[in-house]
Amino acid sequence: MSADPTLVGGGNLDPLVQRIVADVLVVPLEQVTLESALVADLGAESIDFLDLVFHLEEALDRRIPFTRWQRYVEERFGTGDLSHTITTSVVRDFALHVTEG
Amino acid sequence: MRERVAITGIGVVTPIGIGLDAFSRSLRAGTSGVRRIDKFDCTDFDTQIAAAVTDDFDGTAWVEPPKMTKLMSRSALFAVAAAAMARQAAGLGAEDADPERRGVLLGAAGMGPTDNDLLATQARAMLESAESANGGWNVPAFARVFCRRTNPLATLRGLPNLAAAHVAIQQDARGPNSTVTTACTAGTQAIGEGLRLIQRGDADVVFAGGADATINPVTVLGFSLLGTLSRRNGQPDAASRPFDLERDGFVIGEGAGVVVLERESLARSRGAPVLAELAGYGVTCDAYRITDERPDAAGAARAIRLCLRDADAEPGDVDYVNAHGTGTRMNDLTETRAIKEALGPKAAETAVSSTKSMMGHLLAAAGAVEVAAVVAAMCGNFLPPTINLDTPDPECDLDYVAGSARAGRVDAALTNSFGFGGQNACLLIRRW
Repeated sequence: MSADPTLVGGGNLDPLVQRIVADVLVVPLEQVTLESALVADLGAESIDFLDLVFHLEEALDRRIPFTRWQRYVEERFGTGDLSHTITTSVVRDFALHVTEG
Repeated sequence: MRERVAITGIGVVTPIGIGLDAFSRSLRAGTSGVRRIDKFDCTDFDTQIAAAVTDDFDGTAWVEPPKMTKLMSRSALFAVAAAAMARQAAGLGAEDADPERRGVLLGAAGMGPTDNDLLATQARAMLESAESANGGWNVPAFARVFCRRTNPLATLRGLPNLAAAHVAIQQDARGPNSTVTTACTAGTQAIGEGLRLIQRGDADVVFAGGADATINPVTVLGFSLLGTLSRRNGQPDAASRPFDLERDGFVIGEGAGVVVLERESLARSRGAPVLAELAGYGVTCDAYRITDERPDAAGAARAIRLCLRDADAEPGDVDYVNAHGTGTRMNDLTETRAIKEALGPKAAETAVSSTKSMMGHLLAAAGAVEVAAVVAAMCGNFLPPTINLDTPDPECDLDYVAGSARAGRVDAALTNSFGFGGQNACLLIRRW
């Protein structure tokens, strides 16, 4: 998967992120909404987030250390049980944060 | 008296058939699964042939949830599919055995990158980092390219114990779980150690077998450099020819075999469809050289004798021997000698064949798939052939069931495996 110029840099990241989440968790695209919780609704486990960030790196064509994702999540939500908290929209926000940062 | 152990289900993924029925038909027909390698460009390779699992294999159909396949190497996927087929054949329901009393014992290859995608990534990273100031390998440059391009999950696919972990997850097997990595002996030894788990009282059901998938450039070139592979590239289906004077090495195969081993009392109480008894196991090591077998075949012969004793069987009880039969001159001669040493005068009356003549050498999966071949022969009343045995080696003078399958009743059979490293294992399978 390579970067899609129409989707990054101010474009609408939603379809791109939804597609990546569906690919990474091997679920049908129509099952992935912005409100879907990756763990609670879509069955993600911890290592799937490594895979997710790897796919974001490829799609956004920039280096994203995994620690950056971890920091982003921790600063925004703390360190408790986030299984219902990390939704597709959080991933989209992170992608936006990365492309703008 | 110790309780017997039943084989109640078998699953196989092989180059000559997926599932026991298809596999059994190919064994009876003498079908070769050896083809020109088409998974990568093997131009200029000394060996350009292998026995691959055909593209109609859909491993994902056996995996729940589907995303688990991302964490599976090709060999793990073979193992998971074979275990699920075996479970289905055994009719083992969720309530039939305590998950904590279900074990897994698999033969697997060592770790290391055998995944073609990972190999390609590494090769690219190597190329882009080949030049450094002093002409050597620029490791920091390699690290940058490798970390950027390697999926972080790739390493997990290379761990040798993960096939057994995936089988456990899919089969909710929470009991003993182990992996045997004795190369070409691994599948046989895993099934033997699975037998011991039940005999020791550590489990009631064991998913036992082996899986391997090594048709990749590095492994093919590696075995080729060792001089062990057939180079009969012009005639793939005639390349694997154990005990034939014109043999020139083995052919790499891939696949998996898993059997459901079950304590007799459990099998009886739930009315399980018993295919055969796993009656004996013998294991030894040559402790001699890494690839040379002892010329007097003492280690191999002792494994066979220990197996017979373990099963409380006599040489005359054995109707069929599924040979290790790789198609290297050394193995053909040593194994022939080992069988004669262990069975004595009865060796001449015993049918011996190498099913590797049809499906190649499945390495860590070989022994497991060969147990399936023995059970197929026992249930189907036939002796699988050694195909391509056109010009018998005069030094190999047993009945190798040359050319095509024969009808014949098999009440007790042995299956041998001998590995690089000198490990020898033998199993005895008996009609239930």
